[in-house]
Amino acid sequence: MSVDLPEVIADRRHLHGLQATMLSDQQLTVTDKFGLRNKGFHSAPGSEEAEALPVPATLLIDESGKVVWIDLSADYQRRSDPSVVLAAMEAHFDIAGH
Amino acid sequence: MEGRGSGRAAVKPMKTGTKIALVAAVIAAVTARYWFYLAAEVSLPADRTGFVIAFLGAAALGVYALIKRTSWLGAIPAVFAIVVGAFLPFTVSISAQIVERDSVIEVGDAMPQFTSTDGQGQAFDSASLNGHLVLIKFFRAHW
Repeated sequence: MSVDLPEVIADRRHLHGLQATMLSDQQLTVTDKFGLRNKGFHSAPGSEEAEALPVPATLLIDESGKVVWIDLSADYQRRSDPSVVLAAMEAHFDIAGH
Repeated sequence: MEGRGSGRAAVKPMKTGTKIALVAAVIAAVTARYWFYLAAEVSLPADRTGFVIAFLGAAALGVYALIKRTSWLGAIPAVFAIVVGAFLPFTVSISAQIVERDSVIEVGDAMPQFTSTDGQGQAFDSASLNGHLVLIKFFRAHW
């Protein structure tokens, strides 16, 4: 989920060979539903079309649709560390069954 | 002052203004270097008063050095201190690395249902995630 335009997502997806579903949230409607709009930012440098940016966040959701783990960054430039996310997935998801 | 006219003409004493200019340039350079180090480490402090004081102090020292008169070469560190010291507080005051938010989703909450658009322009409905383990990432943008 990012504020990129669909064309930009398609471009980066191809460039980096990404497999995950990547969604465009230009108006931050989804971001707002999760309460993840970064209010400290009123402009998004490098992404001029977007009015704001989301707080960098990683969420794990179980089969019942319940949030079981959240990693929020206190810094807009920092992303979740892959090893931290993997450890959380092992802790909260029954990986063997999936 | 001291040393002038002492007969040791080979070594010209440094003008007071030049000395001040060098001190100002060192303060500006060290503070700037520390600032960019913290920025790279993404650990800029919320309170930047110290940085602003150091930069403005360096700029003020640079101006003072020029008033006290420097040698021709001594003007270079003075101008450097003024430029760095006057410009960087602006950057320091506006650069925001810390995010602000009020309400936020919490562990135990139900995932909000949403619709969106993927990279191919296809509509996406979060209902398609029901019954699955899901990892959702929000990130700033491609840059």
